[in-house]
Amino acid sequence: MFFRMHWLLGWIQECALSKGGMIRLKLNPLARKKLSRFRSIRRGYWSFIFLLFIYGLSLGAELFVNNKALVVFYEGDLYFPTYADQIGGDRFGLDYSYETNYRELKKQFKESNRGNWVLLPIVPYDPYEMDYQDENATGLSPPNFEKRHFLGTDKTERDVLARLLYGFRIAMTFAIAYLLLTYLIAMGAGSLMGYAGGKADMIGLRFVEIWANVPFLYMVIILVSVMPGWWGVGWQVSSLLLIMVLFSWTGMAYYVRASIYKEKAREYISAAQVIGASPTRIIFRHLLPNVISTLVTFAPFTIAAAISSVTALDFLGYGLPPPTPSWGELLKQGVNNLRIAPWIVISTVTALVVTLTLVTFVGEAVREAFDPKKFSTYE
Amino acid sequence: MQKHKLKTFSILPLFLSLFILTGCDNNQLKPPRDMPPSPEKRESEKNFLTDRESARELAREFAQEFAQEFVRHLKESNSSFALPTAVKPGKKPDFTHSGIVDNDGRPHPLLSHCAEDVLEYYKKHADCFTMATGADIPAGLIWLNGSKEKEFSSPSAKKGGTWQAYMRDFPRTFRTIGPDANGAFRSYLLDHNALGLVHSHPNTDGYYPGLATSWAVGEDGATVFYRLDPNARYSDGKQVRASDYFFFLYFMRNKHVQAPWYNDFYGKDKFKKVTIYNQNTLSITFYKAKPDIVERASIRPKPEHFYSELDGEFLTKYQWKPEPTTGPYVVYPRNVDKGKSVTLVRQKDWWADQKKFFRYRFNPNQIKVSVIRDYNKAFEVFLKGDLDMFGLSKAEFWYGKLPHEHPLVAKGYLTKATFYNQTPPPSYALRINSRQPPMDDLNTRKGFHHAINFDLVLKKVFRGDFVRMNSVADGYGTRSHPSIQAREFSVKKAKSFFAKAGYSKLGPDGILLNALGQKLSVEVLTGYKHFEDVLVVLKEQAKKTGLEIKLKILEPTAAWKAANEKNHQVFFSAFNSSVELFPRFWEPFHSDNAYEEVGNSKYTDDGSLKEGVTTKVSTNNFTQTAVQEIDKLIDLYREEENLARITEMSHQLIEKIHDHAVWVPGWKKPWLRLGYWNWIKFPENWGPKESRNYEEFHVFWIEPKEKQRIINAKKEDKPIATEPSVKIYDRYLAK
Repeated sequence: MFFRMHWLLGWIQECALSKGGMIRLKLNPLARKKLSRFRSIRRGYWSFIFLLFIYGLSLGAELFVNNKALVVFYEGDLYFPTYADQIGGDRFGLDYSYETNYRELKKQFKESNRGNWVLLPIVPYDPYEMDYQDENATGLSPPNFEKRHFLGTDKTERDVLARLLYGFRIAMTFAIAYLLLTYLIAMGAGSLMGYAGGKADMIGLRFVEIWANVPFLYMVIILVSVMPGWWGVGWQVSSLLLIMVLFSWTGMAYYVRASIYKEKAREYISAAQVIGASPTRIIFRHLLPNVISTLVTFAPFTIAAAISSVTALDFLGYGLPPPTPSWGELLKQGVNNLRIAPWIVISTVTALVVTLTLVTFVGEAVREAFDPKKFSTYE
Repeated sequence: MQKHKLKTFSILPLFLSLFILTGCDNNQLKPPRDMPPSPEKRESEKNFLTDRESARELAREFAQEFAQEFVRHLKESNSSFALPTAVKPGKKPDFTHSGIVDNDGRPHPLLSHCAEDVLEYYKKHADCFTMATGADIPAGLIWLNGSKEKEFSSPSAKKGGTWQAYMRDFPRTFRTIGPDANGAFRSYLLDHNALGLVHSHPNTDGYYPGLATSWAVGEDGATVFYRLDPNARYSDGKQVRASDYFFFLYFMRNKHVQAPWYNDFYGKDKFKKVTIYNQNTLSITFYKAKPDIVERASIRPKPEHFYSELDGEFLTKYQWKPEPTTGPYVVYPRNVDKGKSVTLVRQKDWWADQKKFFRYRFNPNQIKVSVIRDYNKAFEVFLKGDLDMFGLSKAEFWYGKLPHEHPLVAKGYLTKATFYNQTPPPSYALRINSRQPPMDDLNTRKGFHHAINFDLVLKKVFRGDFVRMNSVADGYGTRSHPSIQAREFSVKKAKSFFAKAGYSKLGPDGILLNALGQKLSVEVLTGYKHFEDVLVVLKEQAKKTGLEIKLKILEPTAAWKAANEKNHQVFFSAFNSSVELFPRFWEPFHSDNAYEEVGNSKYTDDGSLKEGVTTKVSTNNFTQTAVQEIDKLIDLYREEENLARITEMSHQLIEKIHDHAVWVPGWKKPWLRLGYWNWIKFPENWGPKESRNYEEFHVFWIEPKEKQRIINAKKEDKPIATEPSVKIYDRYLAK
C-alpha cells in the first residue's frame, strides 16, 4: 500500500457496519478517537451519510432515471435492458430497428392487452433524450407529474431531473478523482522536498512557486480549446481532469512540505533513523500517517472547489463537451431563460447549494475532529 | 559565452537597418534594395565587427551621414519631396505606349504622387495599367446615371442621435483585408459604409451611382467606363483620384496583405485592365463579358495617399489604423475603447450628403458598437433600452422571451417586425470534408445526409418558422434548381447506405461498426454556440440510424481557424451570400481551392485524385471537393456570357454537387425579424427588397423626442399604445 490508509478504510467500515461490528480493521487509538469525535458532530456526520447516499444513488442512476425499462416481459421472455446491449424495437414486434422507446412500448402493451408488460424506472427519461413525443413540445416545458418530468424540461425538451442526477454523478466522480490525484502529487512532491531538504527543497520550492503562478483558468481554457476533437468524451473529461490537477497541486504541496519538516525534527524520527530505517520506511510508516491529519481536513473543501470549478468551466463553455449532462450547462440554460423557465435555475441552484453546503458541513466536522489541540499527546 | 557572442552578431544587422530605416520615411530617398547578404558576406561582417560597442559607433556614424544627406536632398529639391528625376521645365513629356512613364522615366502627371515601388509595379504590368487621353474614350457610348431609379429611403428621415449596436467580439483589427479582417465589424467599416463606383439597386435590377456619376458599358461587353464624381472625398478630406483604382489592384494583388482569396479574386485573370483617361474618367476591363458587368467591375478605391506603398509591415502597421473612407461613418482612435466599444461618427460635411440615393440614409450621427459577448445578455441589454434593435430570428426569442404579450411590446414601447425579403439565404449547412475518413466514401456521405433530421429541428427548435434549404444555391431566381430536394431523414435509407460503406454490424451501444470494428463516428465542428440545441437534436436523431455524432463547439474565431486548416470532418456554418444574379461555385467547390496542385495536375488519367496531394488551407472549399467533372463545368460556367447557358450550367452544377453529397443543406428563412424600440423609425415599406439585415442600407432614423417620451412613459409605466406593436411587411413576400 502506498501509505497507511487503514484508518480511512476502518472509518468507512464503521460507517457501513457501525452496529454490526463483524470485521474490523485495526485502528490506532488516536484515529479511533478522531473518528468517534467526528461521529459525535451530528451535523457533519449526517451530511456525510447523506452525501454518500445520494452519490451511491447517482452511481445506480440507471435504475431510477432512465428511458430503458427495468424489466420487459414479452411473449414469455423477460428482458432486462438497463445494463444490457441496446435492444432494437423489432425485437418487441415494433416496426423500427433502432433503440426501443419503452414508454411507447408500455402504452402499446397495455392497449394490446396480451399479457406483456414493461416496468419503467421512476423517471422514465435519459439525460440525453429529447422528449418530442408531444406535438406541441418545443422545449422548456414546466414540471409535469403526469409525464413524470418532475423538474420540467430544458430547452431541447430533456428532463431536468435526469440531467441533474447524471450531472451530479459526473461532477462528484470528477471531484473525487481530482482530490485523489491532487493529493497524490502533492504528497509526493511535498514529502520529497520536506524530507530531503537542502538543495532538493530549494529547487523544488522555486519550481512550485513558478508553477503556482501560471494562471490556472487560462491554462484550462487554452488547453481545452486545442484538445483534438476525435478524442471521445471519456478522454476529454479525463484530460480536463488532468489539466486541472496539474495546475492545482501546488497549494497542497506547501502544506505537506511544512508538516513533514515539522515532523522530521521530532525525536521519534531520529530514533527511527538511528535504528537504521530506510528513508522510504520513515516517510511511509512514520511521517505520512502523521501528516495525513492535516490533509484530511482540507479534503472536503477541495471537493467543493472541484465541483464549483468544473461547474464554472461548464458554464463558460470550456468544461465537459456537450451534450454531457452538467450542472454548469444547466445553470447557463437557466440563466438564459430566467424569465420563461425558472424551474431550471431553481432546481440547479438548489442542488448546487445543497451539495456544497453538505460538503462544507462535512469539512467543518472533519476539521473539528482532527483538531490537534484536542488530542495533543505531549505532557 | 559562445552563445552570447553569436547573439550579439545577429543583432548587429538589425541595429543597422533600424537606424537606416528611421531616417527613411520618404520613399524616394530609399537606397536601392539589395539582395539579402550572402552567408560568406555575413561571415566577413562578423569578423569585422568584433564587438557591440564598435558596431554601435559605426551605426551612429552611418545615421549621421544619412541625416546630412537627407537634409542636403531637402534643400536641393526646395523642400519638396520630388523625385530626383523630376520633370525638368521646358521639355515636353513623351510617353511610351502604356503611358505610365515617359521616355526619360518621368511618371505621368496623374501618377506623379506614386511611390517608386508602385510605379515600378504599374510599369511591370503595363498591359493591366494603362494611361490614355480623353480622345481615346470611344464615341457612341451610352452613358447611364441611374436617374430613372427611385430612391429607396424615406424623405421623412431625420439626421441625428446615436444608434446603439453591439458586436460579439472586439474586432481583431481595423484593417479590412488580411488575417482576421473578415470579422463582423468589417461591415461597419467597409461593406455597409464605403461606396463603390456603382451600386446595384436593392429594389430593382438597375443601378444607382456611388462614386461615379455615370457609367457606360463598352462595345465588348467586358469594359465599363466610369466618370468619377469630382466631389468625391475620403474622410481625411483628400479627393478620390482615378489613380486610386490603379492602386486598388496593386493593393489587392500584393502579397503583403496576406489575403490569397483577394489576391486571386482581383487577379489579372479577372480584372484585365484599368485605363485612366483623365482626372475623372476611367474604365475597368473584366476578363469577359458578363450580364452583370457594371456591378462586377464596380470596385472600391483604395486611398493611395494613406498607404503609399506596401511592405512586410503592412499587417502590423495598419492593424489599428482604419483607412480613410468614402462612406459617411469614420472611426477615430479617440472613439475606440479597446475591448469594449467602437464609436463611429458621421462626417459633418460628408461629400455625398445631398446626393440622391444617399440623402435620407445613414441618419444617426453616431454608431456606438459595444462588445457584448453573450447573445442572451445582449437581449437583456436590448430590453433595458441600451440597444436600439435586436434580431429576433430565433424562435426562442420571438415566441419565448419576447412574446406579443410581453409588457414592452403590449404597451407599445417596442415593435416586433417581420419583413419578408428576397435574397439568397445565408448558407446554413453541414459541410462534409470529403477527404477525412470515413466521409471519403460516397456511401457514408449519402448515409450521413439521410441521418440528419433537419425537419425535426425546423419543427421543434425553430417552431416551423424556417423552411428547409434544398440545394447549394437557393434564392437565385431561375438560376436555382427548380426541382432538386434535400435528402430526407430516413433510418432505412441511411442504414442501407452505411451498409454499402461497410458499416453493417450494430454495436452494443446502437452505433454501427465496420468489419474492422471501427465505430461510425463523425465529429461536427462549429463556432455557433447559439445553435447548440440544433446540433444536439441532430446528434440524438442520428443515433437512430447508428451514426454517432460528436460535437465540437468552439469560440467563433477558434472554430473558423480550425475549419480553415481543413482538419474537420464536418463543419457546420453559414456564409452570407451576396445578392447576385447567379451563384458562385468556384470558391466552395473547385478543386483548386481544395488542393495546392493546380488544375488537372492533381488528377490521374482516369480522373481520380492522385495520392499525396497537398491540402490547400484558408480557402472556402470546406468540403475538399475535387471532382474533375465539376471542375470542368465550373471553369466553363465562369467563362460563359449568356444568361440562359449560365442558368442551364448552374442547374447541372447543383445536381452534380448534390450527387457528390458533401453539403447537407440546412434551413433558410424567408424573412427578417427584429425587435426595435419605437424611437427607431423605418420607411413605409420598412426597407428595400434585397435587405439581408436591418442595418445594411441604413434607411432607419432615430427620433430623439420620441426616445425621451418612451423612456418617460416606461418609467411611469404608462402604455403608449392600446395594442401590441407587432408589424408585418409582406410587400415582397414571394408567392
